[in-house]
Amino acid sequence: MEFLNNPEFGEKLVTLMAALALVIQIAMVGQRSLIMNIRMYGTQSFLLGAIAGAIAHFNGAWHIYIAAFLTITVKAILLPILLERLADRIGIRHEIEPILGTPVSIVISGALTFIAYIVGESFYHPGPGAALGRNTLAVAISIFLIGFFMMINRRKALTQVLALLSLENGVFLAAICLTYGMPLIVEVGVFFDVLVAALVLGILVYRIRENFESMDVSKMRRLRG
Amino acid sequence: MFSLNVLFSGGLIAYAAGAAAGLAGFRAPRAARVIAFSLALAGALLEIVAAALAIFAPATSTWSLPFGGALFSWTVRLNPLSGFFNLTLGVLAAAASIYSFGYVRHMEGKRNVGSLAFFYNLLLLSLTLVFTAANAFFFLVAWEVMALSAYCLISFEHEKAPTRRAGMVFLIMSHAGTGLLLIGFLLLARASGSLEFSSFHQLASTMSPREQAAVFLLFFAGFGVKAGVIPLHVWLPAAHPVAPSNISGLMSGIVIKTGIYGMALVFFDFFGLPPVWTGMVVLAVGVVSALLGVLYALVEHDLKRLLAYHSIENIGIILIGFGAALVFRALGKPELAALAFIAGLYHTLNHAIFKCLLFFGAGSVLHSARTRNMEEMGGLIRRMPVTAACFLLGAIAISGLPPLNGFVSEWLTYQALLAGFGSSQDLTRVAFPIAGALLSLTAALAAACFVKAFGISFLALPRSDQAAEAHEAPFSMQLGMGILAACCVALGLGATWFLKVFDPITGAALGVRMSARLAAGNGFALAAGTAHGGTVSTVGIAAVLVLLSALPAMLWFVWGRSARRVQGPTWDCGLPGLTAANEYTATGFSKPFRMVFAALYRPKREIQHEYEVSPYYPTAVRFESEIEAAFEKRFYKPFQEALMGMARRMRSVQAGSIHAYLAYIFVALILLLLFGARG
Repeated sequence: MEFLNNPEFGEKLVTLMAALALVIQIAMVGQRSLIMNIRMYGTQSFLLGAIAGAIAHFNGAWHIYIAAFLTITVKAILLPILLERLADRIGIRHEIEPILGTPVSIVISGALTFIAYIVGESFYHPGPGAALGRNTLAVAISIFLIGFFMMINRRKALTQVLALLSLENGVFLAAICLTYGMPLIVEVGVFFDVLVAALVLGILVYRIRENFESMDVSKMRRLRG
Repeated sequence: MFSLNVLFSGGLIAYAAGAAAGLAGFRAPRAARVIAFSLALAGALLEIVAAALAIFAPATSTWSLPFGGALFSWTVRLNPLSGFFNLTLGVLAAAASIYSFGYVRHMEGKRNVGSLAFFYNLLLLSLTLVFTAANAFFFLVAWEVMALSAYCLISFEHEKAPTRRAGMVFLIMSHAGTGLLLIGFLLLARASGSLEFSSFHQLASTMSPREQAAVFLLFFAGFGVKAGVIPLHVWLPAAHPVAPSNISGLMSGIVIKTGIYGMALVFFDFFGLPPVWTGMVVLAVGVVSALLGVLYALVEHDLKRLLAYHSIENIGIILIGFGAALVFRALGKPELAALAFIAGLYHTLNHAIFKCLLFFGAGSVLHSARTRNMEEMGGLIRRMPVTAACFLLGAIAISGLPPLNGFVSEWLTYQALLAGFGSSQDLTRVAFPIAGALLSLTAALAAACFVKAFGISFLALPRSDQAAEAHEAPFSMQLGMGILAACCVALGLGATWFLKVFDPITGAALGVRMSARLAAGNGFALAAGTAHGGTVSTVGIAAVLVLLSALPAMLWFVWGRSARRVQGPTWDCGLPGLTAANEYTATGFSKPFRMVFAALYRPKREIQHEYEVSPYYPTAVRFESEIEAAFEKRFYKPFQEALMGMARRMRSVQAGSIHAYLAYIFVALILLLLFGARG
């Protein structure tokens, strides 16, 4: 089991998992089923947790283990369960209605990935011992941008919440691969934040539906000045 | 110096205590009125003494109030210029406080007297600080407190829609002006590295020409809004009439003078040797304001609006003095500059006094006849003799007739302009006789206007029931007016002695002391102090007037006692039974001016006859006449429309769609990322 302590192997492993996370993100853009989307989000979060674990292992930073553990429990297990329940309660199980069609969305996602690589390249100034970031940062930015694009592209508030969460995954990935883990208190704070945000948004979505008889935010146009 | 600072601070404390008393007295209007206005009076008297000491103090007293932080200090500077403006303020504040005892009394129980007293004292406090602040930041703070308390006072009778609207216009324009001042001060502060006024001394003249122009224009426009120069005047005729009359007097008397103070400060302290064109601009704006102000006043039938337009006119006259002073200074004629500067400052004081007096008179009329419309007054001289006498004195003074104070300052302005023609050889000198001619036109029109204002309001028969039932104002109001009327006489007759006040001011600004040269005949006559200047004696004119008015009595005493006397109604030409309908109306009086200046007024007239049998026997005639509000229509309306149009176009950005908002953020983010990646 020599390779388990080889940093080169670690880097490849992290890059591979990051790439998988990106693939999942793009698949989420194309996927129309809400439940599938929630589960893909869970999978993506699990991959992130695994990345954090790998970084913790290969860099010997113990506190990232906690981040990894939190990621997996909160984002990969807790949030998907909450969201599925919410979807159940509201009574929609399938059909996200995006504004743009799947092919166009996928092309845009590709373009965004391209932009992310351009941007990531220039922001990446590796220090000594920081070999991980190169591709991972670009992937993180892609996930972030695509998540943002999903938010714009979807009509229903619940699906936007989901897009926001996956966007946050991008932020998390960028943070962890650039800094090898922020101070623990920051990460705990971020987790708590995401959890609260998801809960609040869930309630909000429920209320929107009660009041407007729809979750379609494009019907909320009356709210302007 | 010590006593000066103590007196000054004592005045400030009295104002602050008055404001506190007003606040405390929300539930007890009578106590609030008596205590708050007594404290204001005490503060005003202390400030008068402090100001007089400051003018003649051997050195400028500069010290800081015990507040402030690292960024700025609450520096107060008591120099002759601020002393002079504080003196003006103190006199008006004293008279206004006395006047308010009676004027505010009838509001008890109907309106919130406590809040009026609070904002009144706050206004006086902030005005004192505006005139003495010596730190740009502190100045702007005092300036804003002044603007806001003035706004609250203007909107005091806020249940009326025009009042609210006027207050809003004032607030908007005032803040736009403050914005310009802020930029101006920042430009100066960048050059000096400090916000203290002492570091700005003659600083502007060391800047590049472009920066000089920017500083000059910013301050001129910023202070011009408050002063009410045309075309930045539109708030003034709206706001001054709707305020309670004691406040209108202060607004027209001293609040708009803060603009004049600011200009004096910038032009004669911050600028060393100004470029010639700045003086020309001030002169031109002054002439236009004076002439248009009086022309609009002529066709006004609302007594207080008429007075408000006259404020614009008089601000114009003051600016003519200032503009001439700037030109002379640029041409290297300090004596002439001092003469013109003195003329402007003296007119500032005089206008403050007689305009306040006139507003108080209008307030007394409003108080007892309950109308501002001159067409509903008439015959008030019999019912309100003291008010009428005071108003008449004010009217004579504002018309620039000898021997009162308005005459002296306008005469000095003329002398400066006349001397200006010989001051240089280039084309700029042509401006002076033109300005002089237009100034005399202005003065003549002002006299015509006040013949109308006094004649229609106070003479002949009452035109309405309210006017017929009018009664004289309470004693405190009479006293307030009487003090100001006495000032008008004193500043007219004692001008040569009073002019000594300006020695320290011109000495500091221009290095010239003029008072000895302006006095002739042991101080009983005014001299221009210029090469071919004139001489005039207000005391002599007054003596002749008194003698001439005594002459008929003497003639009657000598010859007339034996003659037969018949008493009959006046003006009825043998046909008895004159009614108010036979009287000359204000509209009729100003008709010739409407015709002559039709190009300016663009009068609109609509006459409708209603008849039943034949058009020759109308049952009713409806007549409507209005003049065009040229500046509102041609200058502000297009601007406002453009602004609103732009806002409407901008509004489509605000689509109300969450997706659109997200897309904005998204696009901005990507652009920023690419921008960052490029760099």
